[in-house]
Amino acid sequence: MASREIVQYRSPLRTAYGIFAVVFLAAYLIWSLLPLFIMFVSSIKDLLEAFQLPAVGDWGNAIPTFFNFTPTFAHYENLFVRENFGVYLQNSLIAAAGSAAISVVLGAMTAYGLSRLEFRFKKDLFFWIISTRMAPVVAVIVPLWAIFRGLDLVGTLPGLIIAYTTFNLPFAIWILKGFFDNVPYAIEEAAMCDGCTRLQALREILPLVAPGVGAFLVLCILFAWNDYLFASIIGSGGAKTLPAATRGLVQPQNIQWGSIMAAGVVTTVPMMFLGLLIRRYLVAGLTMGAVRE
Amino acid sequence: MSAVTDAGEFAGALADRPAERGADWGAFTVTHEPATFNRPWSNRFYWVMMLPAIILLACISLYPFFWLIYMSLHSVGEMGQIEGWNDFRNYTRLINDKEFLNGWWLLIKYSAMCMVLEVIIGVFLAVVLNGSRFEKVLVTLFLMPMMMAPVIAGTVWYFLYNGTFGWYHWLFQSLGILDAKSILGDPSTAMFGIVLVDVWQWTPLITLITLAGLKRVPQDQAEANLVDGAGPVKNFLQITLPNLYPFLLIAILLRFMDNFRFIDAILVLTGGGPADATKILPVYLFDVTFSFFKLDRGSAIAFTLLLVTIILGLLLVRVFEDPSQKRAATAAGA
Repeated sequence: MASREIVQYRSPLRTAYGIFAVVFLAAYLIWSLLPLFIMFVSSIKDLLEAFQLPAVGDWGNAIPTFFNFTPTFAHYENLFVRENFGVYLQNSLIAAAGSAAISVVLGAMTAYGLSRLEFRFKKDLFFWIISTRMAPVVAVIVPLWAIFRGLDLVGTLPGLIIAYTTFNLPFAIWILKGFFDNVPYAIEEAAMCDGCTRLQALREILPLVAPGVGAFLVLCILFAWNDYLFASIIGSGGAKTLPAATRGLVQPQNIQWGSIMAAGVVTTVPMMFLGLLIRRYLVAGLTMGAVRE
Repeated sequence: MSAVTDAGEFAGALADRPAERGADWGAFTVTHEPATFNRPWSNRFYWVMMLPAIILLACISLYPFFWLIYMSLHSVGEMGQIEGWNDFRNYTRLINDKEFLNGWWLLIKYSAMCMVLEVIIGVFLAVVLNGSRFEKVLVTLFLMPMMMAPVIAGTVWYFLYNGTFGWYHWLFQSLGILDAKSILGDPSTAMFGIVLVDVWQWTPLITLITLAGLKRVPQDQAEANLVDGAGPVKNFLQITLPNLYPFLLIAILLRFMDNFRFIDAILVLTGGGPADATKILPVYLFDVTFSFFKLDRGSAIAFTLLLVTIILGLLLVRVFEDPSQKRAATAAGA
């Protein structure tokens, strides 16, 4: 970076800033990761061990108390043997992958068309697409629930897949359009001059957009997997997904904290890996393509 | 890039000049005509590609939207059956609905609190991170909370806040910020409780966007300013911040929309309580519709919420499409 080339003199102020920066980053790192760490550790703690706390203000005992436990995987066993989490995991997978696949395939086709074609109401079409994506889920779910009741889609996986498509499809169209915009039309033109049909020309540019399409497929899976409102209303009954099932474990009496934390780990860990996998596209994806790294 | 080319016209023009057929073109002689000339390029191909998604989207977004308006103008039974026109009662009742007005006020308060904290911490974090040795690793670690389902985040924090065995409850008490009351159980602190969860989960997004912005601050401007005698703080205020502006605008608008969109964590943490202290509008809407099954009133509330979101969306699109800001935000983008 160019700024490195500016000569910087060591001054007390600069040293102080350096120390402050390290302290701040360390503090933020702890603040950011501590809840996740407590979740992981609590999921392998025995019920009574998870409830242990030092006395208020007793800082010295905090860390020994926290690590005073014998690891057990009983909660994970409980989830998958007694609580049917295998089924919920499968539901989550089918709903998320199904809606992501539909959204990305149809979305890529539409994005390609939108990117190559100029027509009169294009701007309005665009605004409609993005406002569908931005609409609050709570507001969308009211009419959707009423309609799905009539169609007997409440509590079924197809219903859930359609519900997830309401936010994944506009997302896919919007973000992939930006992707196709960056592919020069000249490549297709050249292919067509060589005798390719339109479809074959499209196949020529597919390798260029494939990484992005793949990344946004993963991102669509992530959005759908992490949804709770649709899962709890549209999926209630026959199509319980992991987040809804985890929420279901929280009951006024007899809260099984160990199992809940284990369910949290089961729901979160796969998404963390997916997040790492598409790290490069994450900023573009989360800002609707407005900012790129 | 436009798909409209003049290849069709070109072929047509060629066909119109029979005199040149069979002419000697120098390198080779055209002896016979092609069987057909290329057809003029039609746009039908693109429309065929676009149609399935547009039809599907119309079915799952436009149709429900009109259904929502229709429901909001009628009396609707618990199962969604229409029971008749009711002279805009769903809307007129909203004006006197204290919880509705309070919901808007709380939503604005909640969003504003989240925004201020997230922007301050996020920008600061980005500035400290930028160019530091472990930038890549740290950013990846900071990202982790964002990958979590909001409802799971809410559940974990519900556990951390618990008044008898929650570690954060203990932490806050030990620090002397909190007395014996539980954070979520007290109307005066519950709002801070839910704001903190949002800040924990989404500050990294602001940091990421700001980092992307910081990489595009023109270094020549910064250097010139430093040569002119500006200190680092002055330099930040005069050069970095104005260049960051489009990025921050995008970040703020996106977070605003997400605060409207996601109530998952709040539903777990407080469910709108205690004493409606955290019943922001989307939570109230959820309550009306899916706890009391008043679908008609719910539709009217949902419509007002959608209207505000659409206005925010218009603002966002304008920022996206503004050429100067678009250039700033996506320059050098892959």
